Amino acid sequence: MALNKEQMLDLYRQMRTIREFEETVANFFSQGQIPGFVHLYIGEEAVATGVCANLEKQDYIASTHRGHGHAIARGASVNKMMAEIFGKIDGFCKGKGGSMHIADIELGFLGANGIVGAGLPLATGAGFALKYMKKNGVAICFFGDAASNRGTFHESLNMASIQKLPVVFVNENNGYGISMSQARHQNIKDIADRASAYGMPGVVVDGNDVMAVYEAAEEAVKRARAGGGPILIECKTYRHHGHFEGDPTVYRTDEEVNAWKAKDPLPRFASRLQEMKMATEAEIKQIDLEVKKIIADAVEYAQKSPVPSQDELLTDVYCN
Amino acid sequence: MIAGIIANPASGKDIRRLVAHATVFDNLEKVNLIRRILLGLQAAGVQRVWVMPDYFNFYEQALDFFIGENQLTMETKLVPMKWNACQEDSQFAAAKMAELGVRCLITLGGDGTNRVVAKGAGDVPIMPVSTGTNNVFSVMLEGTLAGLAAGLVATGVVEREYSLLRTKKLIIHLNGKAVDIALIDAVVLEDQFIGSRAIWNMGKVRQIVATRGEPFHIGIAAIVGALHPIDMRAAEGINLIVAASGEQMLDQNQGSIIQVKAAVAPGLIRSIPVRSHELMSPGQKVTVRHRPCVIALDGEREIIVGPDDCCEIELAQTGPYVVDYKRTLKRAAEKGYFINR
Repeated sequence: MALNKEQMLDLYRQMRTIREFEETVANFFSQGQIPGFVHLYIGEEAVATGVCANLEKQDYIASTHRGHGHAIARGASVNKMMAEIFGKIDGFCKGKGGSMHIADIELGFLGANGIVGAGLPLATGAGFALKYMKKNGVAICFFGDAASNRGTFHESLNMASIQKLPVVFVNENNGYGISMSQARHQNIKDIADRASAYGMPGVVVDGNDVMAVYEAAEEAVKRARAGGGPILIECKTYRHHGHFEGDPTVYRTDEEVNAWKAKDPLPRFASRLQEMKMATEAEIKQIDLEVKKIIADAVEYAQKSPVPSQDELLTDVYCN
Repeated sequence: MIAGIIANPASGKDIRRLVAHATVFDNLEKVNLIRRILLGLQAAGVQRVWVMPDYFNFYEQALDFFIGENQLTMETKLVPMKWNACQEDSQFAAAKMAELGVRCLITLGGDGTNRVVAKGAGDVPIMPVSTGTNNVFSVMLEGTLAGLAAGLVATGVVEREYSLLRTKKLIIHLNGKAVDIALIDAVVLEDQFIGSRAIWNMGKVRQIVATRGEPFHIGIAAIVGALHPIDMRAAEGINLIVAASGEQMLDQNQGSIIQVKAAVAPGLIRSIPVRSHELMSPGQKVTVRHRPCVIALDGEREIIVGPDDCCEIELAQTGPYVVDYKRTLKRAAEKGYFINR
């Protein structure tokens, strides 16, 4: 389906929101104002944005430790996200989970996840539930290149395939599992090749091109929703920052980083919008300014929110 | 006595595995294919083979496992170049191989891969082996035979007049400047983004310019083949104007639109409403009237044409030389090359 100008600008706005959110988190983390770990999505914005733009209310997504972008693309409140990352009571988990536990079941966002590859069986289960309950929904699972070496990947793809579940497995291949390059952790380069072993289509797309991701996800979601079974989409992308904030990234060269930064999905899409006369430079700048304000407000919201009291220490830990 | 191999590790993996029923061509199969090609080249007397480096590392993987009687004794080398996992790698490698004295280039990929190689290869002949999706230029061929045929060309055992064909090409002119080429077809799409590159939505096609097309082809060339077949030896090309969906009913009533049924992608057979078509003479240029648009070259969206741009497509007779593997092998047999008395 062709997107109109408004929808195109929405894609840009979404990517800009993720970028601004992440850069702000990086800034406050470096100042020591954010507890715990953060894994930033800077550079990978086109993947979450292009995929989630195809989803409907009844759909689910399962995320990763690098989950802020997925949550924002699914429509999670940036105020509550920022508060959670700051460890404040108004966060998604009352400030007790932090970056890697942001979840919003109302949005079908099954959560970020501190365990590599742990989202795969969650999404598969969600896909099973959607099919069993005839909800015409689709479950999306985001996961990294190294997660595709885990047993959960193979078990999940096998089960989703044999049960013909409406699951779209979205591999964000950023070339590294923590500090280990893909060349050192698997003897293939295209994770999409693994799809055929489970009897499902696997395709490779440019994960830094939001329109390429959008098109592939559109077709995959349509197919899964129509009962065509699971699909594996591999998005080739790159994280500009380290695995976690503070990672010295000694395992990669400046040359490599700069080559990928030249393919940054944001300026790439912005300039394409202008070339096609779908947006002016002024319109792009206006969006940037609006987003800056939204994220500044989220920081203010988080900073004003109190830290959880000691009474909260044991609440929300066990069911009932 | 030198040959070259350019294998595209990204071919056979695009969105057409999802929107159509295109073949999955994994890279390990390409490794096997390269091994068979190498053995064919060696049997034909080639002494040195240059291989393009790539992100999958076909070179080392292919050389990793030669056993028994199938040992590789000829020299193999990686082309000295930096690769960036983009299509320019293939163009650069082809140009470099031409400099290095390569006498025949074997490509593994689809028509898109060969388009890029042709931009760098100059007059070095190409033996195009299909591992892609749209395969009009490239041939579905057993690797051993591809290696043998390419080797017979590289070593000069079979004369060029028997073994080679000069193909046509399309030159894309944007605002008066030649910006790219296509070997088989240039398709004007009512689109604004390159996105996932492939073409599958025929509702977006507005114009087709092709060097050839036959009813047994797959892809856009199949439309040409169904309407007015043009083979690779013919000098002319063709320009088709496709009706937009809103126009169809109106003009069908007037009887001026032809519905052409064609296999536009693996597993996708569609009816295309063709408003008009005209043959093109060598050197003729046609204007792209639908703007803004995206132009797909040999099956892949490549060029964005803005609303104020001027774009023309020219038919030229100066496409790459390709190896006719059947004529090459037959000629070698006629010359007794395979007989040892």
